[in-house]
Amino acid sequence: MPLGVAMLVLLALSWALLGAETQTEVFGLFGVTAVIAVIASRLKFTESLGRVAVEHERAVSIACVVGILILMALFHEDHFPLLLLGSVLLYATACLGLNIQFGYVGIVNFAGASFFGIGAYTTAVLASHTAMPHLLILAAGGVMAALVGCVLLLPVLRTRGHYGALVTIAFATLFRSFLEVNDTLGGPQGLKIPSLQFFGWDLGEGLIFGGVEFSFYANYVFFALLLCMAAYVCVRRVERSWLGVAMDMVRTDEIAASVFGISIARQKIIAFVLGNLLVGIAGAAYGMMTNYIAPNNFTFADSLILVSMLLLGGIGNPLGVFPAAALILILPEKLQFIQEYRFLLYGTVIIFILLFRAQGLLPRGIRRFFPCAENDPRQ
Amino acid sequence: MKKHHAKKLFSSSLLALAIACSALNAQAKDTVKIAFVGPLTGGNSAVGIGGRNSTDLAVKLANENPKNKYHYELVVLDDECKPNIGVQVVTKIASDKSIIGSVSHYCSAVAMSALDIYKKFGLPMITWGTVLPDITYGQKIAEIHRVNGTMVNQNEVAAEFMTKLGYKTWAILHDTTDYGKGHNKYFSEYLTKDGGKILGTFGVTADQQDFTAELTKVKELNPEVVYFGGLTPIGVRIRAQMERLGLKAQFEGTSGIRSDSYIESLGNDLAEGTLTFNEGAPLEKMPKGEEFKAAYARYGYDQPYEAYGPFAFAAADLIIQAIEKVGPNRKEVTDELARTRDVDTLVGRVTFDDHGQNIIPLITKYVVQDGKWVIWEESDYGTGKRKLKGL
Repeated sequence: MPLGVAMLVLLALSWALLGAETQTEVFGLFGVTAVIAVIASRLKFTESLGRVAVEHERAVSIACVVGILILMALFHEDHFPLLLLGSVLLYATACLGLNIQFGYVGIVNFAGASFFGIGAYTTAVLASHTAMPHLLILAAGGVMAALVGCVLLLPVLRTRGHYGALVTIAFATLFRSFLEVNDTLGGPQGLKIPSLQFFGWDLGEGLIFGGVEFSFYANYVFFALLLCMAAYVCVRRVERSWLGVAMDMVRTDEIAASVFGISIARQKIIAFVLGNLLVGIAGAAYGMMTNYIAPNNFTFADSLILVSMLLLGGIGNPLGVFPAAALILILPEKLQFIQEYRFLLYGTVIIFILLFRAQGLLPRGIRRFFPCAENDPRQ
Repeated sequence: MKKHHAKKLFSSSLLALAIACSALNAQAKDTVKIAFVGPLTGGNSAVGIGGRNSTDLAVKLANENPKNKYHYELVVLDDECKPNIGVQVVTKIASDKSIIGSVSHYCSAVAMSALDIYKKFGLPMITWGTVLPDITYGQKIAEIHRVNGTMVNQNEVAAEFMTKLGYKTWAILHDTTDYGKGHNKYFSEYLTKDGGKILGTFGVTADQQDFTAELTKVKELNPEVVYFGGLTPIGVRIRAQMERLGLKAQFEGTSGIRSDSYIESLGNDLAEGTLTFNEGAPLEKMPKGEEFKAAYARYGYDQPYEAYGPFAFAAADLIIQAIEKVGPNRKEVTDELARTRDVDTLVGRVTFDDHGQNIIPLITKYVVQDGKWVIWEESDYGTGKRKLKGL
């Protein structure tokens, strides 16, 4: 019951946020959200909600998917909200990849946008110069990102903490310079990417379904949703498996982990490669959706945005990246009306959120080894 | 239920807003929306805000004119000079059917990424500050127009002018964006043709802070002129660091550094003698120039209109004129803009060729003198009272 209410409120809020255009609407929405948040925390609603959400994980996931489908239906012919929704889903997919690295095994990857870019550039090259089916190209984007990531494996394995982060920062800078001086890859001007096609069906074209016209972005949102679901299921499976337990252990205490016979290198390699694979696939799909990529999209600053989504959502909780990605991508967009001052306000909002929820929007709970409800001692 | 509250509140506020809007619209004229897109945040925000203010001014002046058939409303969007954000905001304005035309983009890469969206949605746009030739000449898109010249024209003039002054050797620094690389390409091409000698070429990244390595090399090469192809933020750093390293060469920039913030950040002494080349006639020489300046002052904008403000003003003006003529219909406005021949605007006569490119023959040369950009011919340097370095 509380879960249903929460989900509906969330749906209504995201509908309003995506649709809000004018100053009054956006500020009204801020106010309403703040009031709801305060009331919910006063009534201890958030706590019970958290507990219920953990118990009914499947229901929550299904509700999220249904919610996005409803949003898609509501905005079926508005290109812009759908483009935003698609971007949120694809960025969230990339964040899921980073979540394996950062949240589970503890590798801080500040080159997220670079791997995102590798996926997109691979797609651009393969889609315009070969006749490969586009689904395979998407996979190739991910594999390429994972392969290039392997170059970084040695330095990442040999360094720890901040030093590891520095390695990835260096890579991000290198990657951008490489793109800018490389004229075969379009140089600083970037490259055009053809739109995604499945078996002769062009996702870049609008669709008429049952007499209702759908924006071509609806295709991409639907596709992004499928990708995102697959990534989410994959990440959850990793988390719940013994692999996830081992990764958690490596993150919390490497020495203890190695004493128990866990190969630290192995866990790190799996996490890094798998994470980059997901980021690369998301990047490939994003490139196809926007039809155009340039090195400026994949700077170190963009990597920071990815990391900040992870932090805002709550490190280690794959569910957290969704609201975080939505906030970070949509908020500055909705503040366009204050023009040059918007990043000021945007920054303030983020700081406030982190002040009141220092652990992120949806912090990761304690691992439950026995998911059956009747065995839970807390009940 | 809470959800109902939220929704009710929202829909009622929406309703109130709609009523308020329709009350406003109840004036005699129909409202037509046009958009402005440019960098309002980040390193290029000074130029972007100048362009925004100028466009805003064009809209306000149009609304003051009782003869106009429509009331205009400006929608301003920030593209952050980033292609992905550009795609987002252009999708936003292009899919909003109430927006009839757009004054778009200062950064060439952003314009490149958004070209297809204008085409797809049939939204006519005039770019007010991008200089990459490919934007108009890369492919033929009816919706795309440009009021300013391309970097080809400005570098042709720059090379010829500098060699005629008697300079012989150059070192070229350029940022590795499309903007800087393009400038390097065309300037080198024309310079070699005019008999100048390039001692060395150095690419620098757009967010680079320290240029000691490059400038030390340049100092060894000892050129007479340091040419820089790029935008104001790096231009300022390079000029300042040249001084610190004791590099005495003449500094020559491109249209990208002709902003008031260039002089403000460097101070009058350091900026003195810097040369740039801009497309279009100088504002002071244009019949409407003084009028524009007075109107800009009258509306009390805090920030200067910068080098590209007049172009943004002219672009907005062209779109408004077209709408006045054929009505608020994207297709018709696109067709009308294609017919633009010898139209008098703030930046001189505008004629769009079949690629939507304005063919302005005129390039104006500027030099910094006592903290101001002065037209070369009128400056103490042009008249021979002062001398550029090394002459």
